Amino acid sequence: MQNLLSVLLRPRLLSTLQGIKPGKKKGNRWRIFIFIFIGAVFWLGAFIIFFRILNYFQSVEGFGDILAQRLLSMIVITFFTLLLFSNIINSLSHLYLSRDLSLLHSLPVPAKDIFISRWLVSAFDSSWMVILFSFPVFLSYGMIYQAGAGFYLLSFSGMVFLCLIAAAISSILVMLGAVILPAGKIRSLFIVLGVALAILLVLVLRIIRPEQLVNPQTFASVVIYLNSLQALDAAYLPTTWISDMISAALKSDWKFSLFNLALSASFAFSLFFINDSIAKTSYFRGFSRAQTTAKRLFYPVSFGNSGWDALLNFLSPAAKAFAVKEIKTFFRDSTQWPQLFLICALIVIYLYNFSVLPLEKSPVNIIYLQNVFSFLNMGLAAFVLSAIAARFVFPAVSMESEAFWIIQAAPVSIKTFLWIKFFLYYIPLLIVSEILIIVSNILLGVTPFIMVLSIITIFCLVPAIVAMAIGLGARYPDFKSENPAMAATSFGGLLFMLCSFALIAAVIIIEAGPVYYTFMADVHGRNLSLMRVVRLIASFSFALLLCVFAVFYPMRVGEKHLSKT
Amino acid sequence: MIELINLTKDYGTVLAVNNLNLRIATGEIYGFIGPNGAGKTTTIRMMGGIIEPTAGKVIISGIDMKENPVPAKKLIGFVPDRPFLYEKLTGMEFLKFIADVYEVETKIITPRAQELLEKFALTDWAHEIIEAYSHGMKQRLIIAAALMHDPRVLVIDEPMVGLDPAAVRMVKDMLKNLSRQNVTIFVSTHTLSIAEDLCDRIGVIHRGALLAQGSIAELNLAARTGNAGLEEVFLTLIREA
Repeated sequence: MQNLLSVLLRPRLLSTLQGIKPGKKKGNRWRIFIFIFIGAVFWLGAFIIFFRILNYFQSVEGFGDILAQRLLSMIVITFFTLLLFSNIINSLSHLYLSRDLSLLHSLPVPAKDIFISRWLVSAFDSSWMVILFSFPVFLSYGMIYQAGAGFYLLSFSGMVFLCLIAAAISSILVMLGAVILPAGKIRSLFIVLGVALAILLVLVLRIIRPEQLVNPQTFASVVIYLNSLQALDAAYLPTTWISDMISAALKSDWKFSLFNLALSASFAFSLFFINDSIAKTSYFRGFSRAQTTAKRLFYPVSFGNSGWDALLNFLSPAAKAFAVKEIKTFFRDSTQWPQLFLICALIVIYLYNFSVLPLEKSPVNIIYLQNVFSFLNMGLAAFVLSAIAARFVFPAVSMESEAFWIIQAAPVSIKTFLWIKFFLYYIPLLIVSEILIIVSNILLGVTPFIMVLSIITIFCLVPAIVAMAIGLGARYPDFKSENPAMAATSFGGLLFMLCSFALIAAVIIIEAGPVYYTFMADVHGRNLSLMRVVRLIASFSFALLLCVFAVFYPMRVGEKHLSKT
Repeated sequence: MIELINLTKDYGTVLAVNNLNLRIATGEIYGFIGPNGAGKTTTIRMMGGIIEPTAGKVIISGIDMKENPVPAKKLIGFVPDRPFLYEKLTGMEFLKFIADVYEVETKIITPRAQELLEKFALTDWAHEIIEAYSHGMKQRLIIAAALMHDPRVLVIDEPMVGLDPAAVRMVKDMLKNLSRQNVTIFVSTHTLSIAEDLCDRIGVIHRGALLAQGSIAELNLAARTGNAGLEEVFLTLIREA
């Protein structure tokens, strides 16, 4: 069986190796270098943040260790939630929806072996990043508590078992879903998952209440706060075993640590057995059901003879046709939904957190703090926008997929096609961003000057970010991908994120000085000197020019590249 | 009318099309045959404005594809070899999308779409998403879409792949009918019997170059095969090339 498994895994392995072979593609070395560089920056950033947090906890007399332990269990729960989420999506794709499955099932290979090979690939795809980024966390714990090699070994083993447990639970859920759900509606699992995850995220964040950590009064009633977290530490949860195992290894309590490791391992192996049994009886049945005609989850509600697309009649026929196609394709693709719900949940949490910031308890001047937060909020909102653009706007060109020939053959220039895409994403993203910035500013209670500044800055940044996403998406398209949405994690996607972050940082830095002078003059009721007015105008004009350049240059680059494709 | 003048496509490692010259008259059905990798699809993709030639020109009814791609494409109905479509749209929505892109008059779009769906036996599937269609149904839909704007030139790559015998007969009749209405048709195919049955002239391409073209009789003359069928002529021309 092992031999067969290695044969089944070989295409994946060889494809991956082909992809990273230097010299295969022009600039491949650069791509690999940029990937490693960005990974290292995030890795180092995570290490510094956790090291500083743990250092700070150590300074809290009496509660330092308890806080560190709580943080550890929060991290393990967060990792487990992420693992479950990505494993469900990945196993659904790998086990039921991948294009190569028809070929695999036509081979003289037992369905169970196909299941195991796909499960391993799915588990690996869902877990490697979590394991990689758990290292800086454990390294910071190990350094603060001066742990030995045993701690690192056990932490790593714990993470591996956490990943295996999440992968095994997810595949059981997916296999049951494939058998229970009506044939042709397997993709509905994505929607169910999206809603569940959004609700879970809001609930978990509200249970954890991270804002309490910055409220000095919380420490007076820390026991009440810690008690509220007890629900997360139930003895029957695998996350509890893993965090207990790691904490025990940190204190060199090897007996308790190994007991929890054995508990996790036996649970993981039991789940393998259950998976194997379910796969034998249900996997192929579920796969066969998934091969039937895909059914739509919702059918459109008609309003007499006119549909909602009549609202777009002001557009030219070609522009309207593209707009209608884009909107329908987007909302009918159920794989988009989990992340759409997730973004909605994150926006709600983002705004809610502004409403509970305990600014009045801070020793710093409240008006000053409110406006500093608001200024930083501009950058933060733009970063949120960049993340949304990376996930939804950057893959927009690749989403044309192998049907891109229709655009190439159509009597519409590539330039028009790209600008239509631009406006389709620009308008909703502008509305979302402005709502985000206005509501958070209202919650912060900022001065009118900062409010107007935020609105104008976001108004200029949104088209620049959207154009960079469309332009670079056109420069680095992937029309062959089975899942074009994954383009966000490609070289082009990372390049877009880098460019976007650089632009936001540049605009914020350019504006910072003049905004500070103007704000202070506003607060103290003073007039600005002529020099400062000149600097203000020059800075804002430069920021505007930067945004204008970021709108047109990437679009031109994308157009040039697509025209030659 | 279609004119290909010194058309060349060099991919760097492969010279896919080498100095191809063709002139296809209005209302003519021209068959394009050749072994795998001969350059048929590359030629067709250049004719459809999907890829740019390295050198040479594609002229559609007097309009240069490179100079004026949008007006040239408006005249063409293009059918690729593989039916990749927008899977999340319904058949009807896809036809309306194509009609809008080609700026078909609004009031005739729905009746035209219904008529074509009827013709291609897709009426019952008109409001199902394309994802649910079989390969043959997608192929029928793609041909229907190519006819939505009443093109003056039809460029078709492998029109019969995946079609059932009834649909093959229907498409053949339809192409003959369009030819009678002065639509110029360029068909690439591996099915030699279809080329023989359908085309006024046939061109044989091999390694990117045109080996011979003309009616079956003219091809027989070029291949010195007497009164043989197209299969024999084709194999002889390729063998001797």
